[in-house]
Amino acid sequence: MVDVQHYLVVSAALFCLGVIGVMFRRNLIVILMSLELMLNAVNLSFVAISRYLGSIEGQIFVLFVMVVAAAEVAVGLAIAVAIFRQKGTINVNEINIMKW
Amino acid sequence: MEAVLFYALAAVTLISGVFVVFLRRPIHNVLFMILTMIGLACLFILLHAEFLAMVQIIVYAGAIMVLFLFVIMLLNLDEFVMPPEHRRVRYGIGIVLAMMLVVFLIPTSRSIISSPTAQVVATDSATLTNTEIIARELFTTYLLPFEIASILLLAAIVGTVIIGKRSTK
Amino acid sequence: MLDSYLPVLVILLVSIFIGSAIIVLSTILGKRFPTAIKLMPYECGMDPIGGARRRFSVKFFIIGMLFIVFDIELIFLFPWAKIYDKLMFFGFVEMLLFVVILLAGLIYVWKKGALQWE
Repeated sequence: MVDVQHYLVVSAALFCLGVIGVMFRRNLIVILMSLELMLNAVNLSFVAISRYLGSIEGQIFVLFVMVVAAAEVAVGLAIAVAIFRQKGTINVNEINIMKW
Repeated sequence: MEAVLFYALAAVTLISGVFVVFLRRPIHNVLFMILTMIGLACLFILLHAEFLAMVQIIVYAGAIMVLFLFVIMLLNLDEFVMPPEHRRVRYGIGIVLAMMLVVFLIPTSRSIISSPTAQVVATDSATLTNTEIIARELFTTYLLPFEIASILLLAAIVGTVIIGKRSTK
Repeated sequence: MLDSYLPVLVILLVSIFIGSAIIVLSTILGKRFPTAIKLMPYECGMDPIGGARRRFSVKFFIIGMLFIVFDIELIFLFPWAKIYDKLMFFGFVEMLLFVVILLAGLIYVWKKGALQWE
């Protein structure tokens, strides 16, 4: 029987990978993908703890996280496409109009 | 048996997660992301969350990753070469992130050692399937979040159409 | 519990075996006489027009995005259908509200002309 902490370690490692991707990469699409990775890491720990506590709430939360992720991806990619059309790049170093 | 499966799936998930973050070509990132999603779905099955495993494959591997592929082909990103990052900044970020990883991992791995009593409790009762339990909770206790989710999706539809249509002109 | 996934494992292994066997055997046994025409990309029998790496139209993206949203709707419909006989009228009303809100989104998209292929 695999302990719940094993799942939490996998989840933490996956989350850190997502963090590294968000901070390290300069490609907007890859940054969005790393965000998905982080959401999925959280999902994994939700499901693991839901099983550990014997309650279903964690799994329902995961369902809602997936809804939010889908909405986020749709709008985020639309923004990425719009930015690419306007500036011809998706390198986040060059998308700095909002920066001061 | 279950331990072997768990370690194999965790290895697949984490290794493809590393590829998602570190490979240079966006197409490869997406393909390894799909592998990560499938690995996670199998882990969900191992945790007796069958419904979520299927949702994971249908929504993430099926729909979201297809949208990512669409955008990469739409923008022809595969031939879009990113300039390499500044080196000193890269090392600084790497060190900070390694620290963060340690901060995350140490408490959880310590709790592995110090909690031999932690036991996995079965969620599934004998009569109801996982999907039925989720449905029962979702449509009674979590009714309001469920309706709000539809409003969120409506907002996503409107937002994407406005942003997407403007960029076609 | 995991035993019930044994058939899935079997079908996975069988399909991997058949797929790789077809590729490996045809590579080993097949005879190859490549000509320029045979090596050309196949495009429904015509001569290919342009490269394969052209940009896609943004219309595909809007359709794909709508697909995601209604995919999510389906995810909620499935467990609802599973316990519909227990929820009865109450469940019907709540799902009706959910579907009507998303229907408003569909009508908006339709009126906006995003489904038009031009």
